[in-house]
Amino acid sequence: MHERELEGEGEASDYLRYPAAMANDLVLDTQIRDWVLAPLSLVMVLIGVLRHFVSKMMRTTPNPDLKAVKEGQIVLRARFLKAGANHIPARAFQMRKAYYNNEESGLLHVPKGQGNNMQAQMLSDPNMAMDMMKKNLSMIIPQTLTFAWVNFFFSGFVAAKIPFPLTQRFRSMLQNGIDLSSVDVSYVSSRSWYFLNLFGLRGLFSLILGEDNAVDDTQRMMQTQMAMQMGGFGSDPAKTLGAEKDGLDLVQHEWVLPKSEQRAESVLRHLLQT
Amino acid sequence: MVGASEERELERLEKQVEEGGGGVVEYLSLVRKLKVRRSNIVAKHGLQLLNQASARSKLGSDLWTVYEQVAIACMDCHALDSAKKCINALDSKFPDSMRVGRLEGMWYEAKGSWQKAEKVYSNLLSENPSDTVAHKRRIAMAKAQGNMTVAVEGLNKYLETFMADYDAWRELADIYTSLQMYKQAGFCFEELILSQPTNALYHLGYAELLYTMGGIDNLRTARKYYASTIELSGGKNMRALYGVCLCGAAINQARGRGRTEEESQELVSLAASVLVKKYKEKASSKAGLVSSILDKYKQLAVA
Repeated sequence: MHERELEGEGEASDYLRYPAAMANDLVLDTQIRDWVLAPLSLVMVLIGVLRHFVSKMMRTTPNPDLKAVKEGQIVLRARFLKAGANHIPARAFQMRKAYYNNEESGLLHVPKGQGNNMQAQMLSDPNMAMDMMKKNLSMIIPQTLTFAWVNFFFSGFVAAKIPFPLTQRFRSMLQNGIDLSSVDVSYVSSRSWYFLNLFGLRGLFSLILGEDNAVDDTQRMMQTQMAMQMGGFGSDPAKTLGAEKDGLDLVQHEWVLPKSEQRAESVLRHLLQT
Repeated sequence: MVGASEERELERLEKQVEEGGGGVVEYLSLVRKLKVRRSNIVAKHGLQLLNQASARSKLGSDLWTVYEQVAIACMDCHALDSAKKCINALDSKFPDSMRVGRLEGMWYEAKGSWQKAEKVYSNLLSENPSDTVAHKRRIAMAKAQGNMTVAVEGLNKYLETFMADYDAWRELADIYTSLQMYKQAGFCFEELILSQPTNALYHLGYAELLYTMGGIDNLRTARKYYASTIELSGGKNMRALYGVCLCGAAINQARGRGRTEEESQELVSLAASVLVKKYKEKASSKAGLVSSILDKYKQLAVA
């Protein structure tokens, strides 16, 4: 196939000729532009759009589990109690604290062995595994297919040339698929062009499909990883509740209202003076 | 919350729309954004907008939101036929949508066919038990029928799960107050204060509740909460000022013979003088009346 790139010297004007710093200054055939470069880019864009709509169709809006909602709300309310404890009378605070922290039936008390983790949830809820499968499938299958397709039809072309010189280290990035050390690094092989498109079209997709398009795999992967780290994804509600409970145990109630009378007096005095 | 500049913008657009100067689309989107309730204007001009095919196509993807908005406004104005048309349009576009289902339920509600509305909502809830709007509509329905005990039950059940929903606590507090179940209402107000410790209105509500309950301890606490209302509102809340005066008088009466500890009268007299000053500034004709009433309270408080 390499002969094809090297031939075609006659036609002139739209060939990119650069100062022949290298001895082997390649001239790329226009046919390559028309039959490799343009179709490859077009197909990548179209596949991206297609994937967006397919994953939109496959997406199921998860119905939040009532128990999980309740746990979240309990934590929220306990935090409010911790923060605002000093604004309610002592009796009201003690009552609430007892209600939350009761060893047997308190809201924040989690019976031992009930803390469910990610795996247990997966086992009990096949939908969750299904969802993840779907997500992964919609990510991996098209990528494998397009890669195979590109490999089959377009391997071995030198598809483009970038208009500036690069160091040897870029060779593996730009000349994936052609093992010729003599070719200048600024030439881009077709397979590398595929990779460049795969990662570089994100901006274009967010332009034509809107901000939260499904094509944005990397972003999504990052998000799940973040959630994993933060403990949100596979978080253990028992742990959160326990932490809140301990926090609430430590709160010392000191009613701030008795001082408010003096403060109110000073506010009123100030009003009278002005 | 509507800011002052947004309020002005809204007024300007409303005037323009009422005079037929266009800008209906902007007005509707501003109303949506600020969540204000101008049902009659929205219904009138929104319907006109939706009846013109050219205007409809201009709305683009906003069209369906406008349909929903106008449908709700029409139900507010009891223009049930127009509302039905909007809902039907939405229903044909989104046949399985929960949001449209809610609108249908609200339509039956507006019509007064409670059973049908109830059926719609319970269907929605069986599909998605965490649909807070459907829960709330059911409670509102019970309240609209005057069935307060059912409303209270529903709210309690709702709050068992969605216990950080402070609008619901506020509603429950109001209902309990109207049923004269002050202790329970007090609990709700405590929750409200916990959620927003700097909101003067919650402090005021709690204080008024405690004052209504009476008893020397409650009255003293009430005075403290009135005082904190004054503090938080910068002395601009008239009810709190009156409340302090009333509490002063009531505490003195309740204390009766057993005069154990000396109550500070400073706050009462200060509040009274601020009240008189405010009346002199804003409504000077009533200042004499107010000062005579306050004098009476002051005498009661000191006596």
